[in-house]
Amino acid sequence: MPRFLFRNHNKRSPLRKDGVKQGEASSSSGDIPGSVHEAVANIVRILDAPDDLVTRFVSGGDGIPSCAIVCIAGLSDLNMINEQIVSSLQQAFSAIGHTEKMSGQELYGLLNKQFLSVQKYKTTRSLDDILVSVLSGDAALFIDGLDQVLLIGSKKWTGRSVEEPQTEALVRGPREGFNESIETNLILLRRAIRDPKLRFDTYRVGARGKKELVIAYIENIVHPDLLQEVKRRVETIDIDDAPESGTIEQLIQDSFLSPFPLILHTERPDKVASAILQGKVVILLDGTPFALIMPTTFVSLVQSPEDYYERWLIGSLIRILRYIAVFISLTFPSLYIALVSFHQGMIPSKLAFSIAAAREGVPFPAVVEAFLMELTLELLREAGVRLPKPIGQTIGIVGGLVIGEAAVQAGIVSPIMVIVVAVTAVSSFAIPSYSAGIAFRILRFITMITASMFGLYGIILTLIMICIHLSRLQSFGVPYLTPLSPGFSRDWRDMVIRAPYTMLTKRPQFMQTKDDSRMGNRRRGP
Amino acid sequence: MKSFEYGDREVGTYEVFASVANMVIGFGVLTLPRSIVETTSSVDGWISIFIGGLGAMLFTWIVAKLVARFPKRNLHDIAGAVIGKPLAYLFTVLFAGYMMTFVAYETRGVASISRLYLFDRTPVEVICLVFLLVLIYAVAGPSVTLFRLNTLFLPIVILLLFVLFLMNISFFEFDQLMPFFVTDWQDLVLASKESVFSFIGFEILLFYNTIINQPKKIAKASMLGMLIPLVVYLLVFFFTIGVFGPEVTGNVLYPTAELAKQVEVPGGFFERFESIFFSVWVLTLFNTAAMAFDVSLLALESVFKKAKRTTLAFWLAPFVFLIVMQPQNLIEIELFGEWISYAGIGLGMVFPAILLLLAIMRGVKGRA
Repeated sequence: MPRFLFRNHNKRSPLRKDGVKQGEASSSSGDIPGSVHEAVANIVRILDAPDDLVTRFVSGGDGIPSCAIVCIAGLSDLNMINEQIVSSLQQAFSAIGHTEKMSGQELYGLLNKQFLSVQKYKTTRSLDDILVSVLSGDAALFIDGLDQVLLIGSKKWTGRSVEEPQTEALVRGPREGFNESIETNLILLRRAIRDPKLRFDTYRVGARGKKELVIAYIENIVHPDLLQEVKRRVETIDIDDAPESGTIEQLIQDSFLSPFPLILHTERPDKVASAILQGKVVILLDGTPFALIMPTTFVSLVQSPEDYYERWLIGSLIRILRYIAVFISLTFPSLYIALVSFHQGMIPSKLAFSIAAAREGVPFPAVVEAFLMELTLELLREAGVRLPKPIGQTIGIVGGLVIGEAAVQAGIVSPIMVIVVAVTAVSSFAIPSYSAGIAFRILRFITMITASMFGLYGIILTLIMICIHLSRLQSFGVPYLTPLSPGFSRDWRDMVIRAPYTMLTKRPQFMQTKDDSRMGNRRRGP
Repeated sequence: MKSFEYGDREVGTYEVFASVANMVIGFGVLTLPRSIVETTSSVDGWISIFIGGLGAMLFTWIVAKLVARFPKRNLHDIAGAVIGKPLAYLFTVLFAGYMMTFVAYETRGVASISRLYLFDRTPVEVICLVFLLVLIYAVAGPSVTLFRLNTLFLPIVILLLFVLFLMNISFFEFDQLMPFFVTDWQDLVLASKESVFSFIGFEILLFYNTIINQPKKIAKASMLGMLIPLVVYLLVFFFTIGVFGPEVTGNVLYPTAELAKQVEVPGGFFERFESIFFSVWVLTLFNTAAMAFDVSLLALESVFKKAKRTTLAFWLAPFVFLIVMQPQNLIEIELFGEWISYAGIGLGMVFPAILLLLAIMRGVKGRA
């Protein structure tokens, strides 16, 4: 039996029943008045008759129930509504003629069987459902005398097309990236994995935003307890709106005090697909290109999809390079501080002389010097991100070259310090996960402070503290440092090095997947 | 039962192995060659280390058998079942006190080597205080964190030792090791007592038994864990004697550290390898101290059932700090270490052996 000792910080907030699953009609009847006119008037009243609300009545002859369509102009495809819904209604009415009397139920049956030629629709009895659907672009079809409403999928609005992901560019790999529309994103995922067991569980989050949230996983791979935990946490989300998946991430992550990202985000469908195939669970949110991958481990912060697309030797070496980048980005300035202010003896004599000569005119201790330069660099980076691309580059040149050069000339910092800062900055850009890069940036400053007080001893104690913190962290019940500790020797093949594919025959052991073989089962039934 | 299941907070055999090894390797190895050479001549001290190691492994086996007999029980429960509640309380508190002094000893060790090799102006008090604060941070969380920390640090420490040995090969003179077998056997036995001191630490199993998930495999894992320090100590001993000779080794404060001082990094990338050596050595000292602190807390928790862990840690810290500051000079530190070792032999070796004997004789067993 698995033992659960999850940190259940979410228990405080009561479970909301907001997440009504699609296709599950809510059972509260009586929301829909029998008469079409009343029902539509009700909707119009609730929405306060906005200009973009389209209501259209279609009526047959006497004795035949009339119908009404309600939708929002900009969100729905009006052509499609005209061509498919209205015209099929008219066909139905002309086919029925004036001959007989008909109840709403009978008309619905007839429409359902013969005439209605729409791609997808569902029925509901709940007013909330109708409102949410209409406001997200579906058309609601009311039929007189029928106590249900047909919600017909007619969403269409102008969104961004599928473009190359901006934040995660690769040299080799698919160029498609997610965009803001969840339909597109789901299609991209479906195109990547054509497995019949690929599941998309839909929730709605946000009491007001009512955004669509999809939990994606493969049913016969994922560990059921992990899936259950993800669902439980998603269900506890109680917020008016989730503008970005970052909101979801912060609401469901394990520890909000940690600088490290406990949930990875990506806008690459291939990355998401490989995560799902590893037995992970992915959350997609409407309105953002960023998908959330959980659980996340420390090792996965340093991995990039490219490691798998390139041959293993190249992938492995690049990955080792990234680990070195992590180390440099975390400790290089603090090592400089420690060596210059405490352990001058450790620097080789010739280098020590040149450092001393370079620091001759510098009025500040090494710490102040380092802080000045690091702070400048962080400012430059932040400014560069905000500005439009062409100007951003100018800022880089002006800031990096001019300020650096001028600061050295003015004798505020030593040239060695500029080198240290530059190398650190370049290394921190080499970390694939942006949020992990930020974590190391924060910790770099802490390490610099301790190094200025206790030299190497301070650095090593800080590193120990970081290790303690990391080994304490969990992401959805999976220890953050897996497969390093607790150790899974089989998974070490895909940790620092990326072993050849022929050796990666199993899914990660730490994911405890139901189906653990990646290779050697070509014939697999659904 | 698998060694890891989704979402669990228990430790498997590899963690036990790494933790026992890391717990035993600590401050002792720095002075070990000197204390052995003081009573033996030439290189014969290795026999003492070997005997000491075997003895320690025997007791490790006894401790492992004892805890395997009572799965998921700690020393307090085991002693309670075998020799009765009042004595169990007494020994648990004694054990907690012993582990606290152990923490103090390691902390003091860190401070003195830092003073010697890293910085000479920073006061010992501050070095100890910072170390203690990080210790408190470490023990404030669940114990399993420390086990995971051990699995992280052990490879680094072993790698460091091998780098140390590798770089000293050029200084190694085989003549220094001659002649063999010239020491009196009584001296050998006497010296092996010294080496046993360096092998204590495995008694942590008495308390960590509660979170170990494969009780049957404890004996094997912990014996393998003891093998690591045995090999490390033997290598360290051979190398110090081979590089410095028995006379010099007997006269330097930390012979193992002097090995690091010898090293010249090829390419002149940086100098003073000993500073790096100590920075990394702090890792294993930290682990030893953190586990001891944690065991001390576990012992106290089993006595004072209502106390909160972090509160206990904060209340203990000043006492530990006071103990740390007691020894005034290096001789007193050594004496302090010796007393702790006697306590360790009493509480970590003799006491579990008696418990096991009584448990077998009286047929007491724990429920799984």
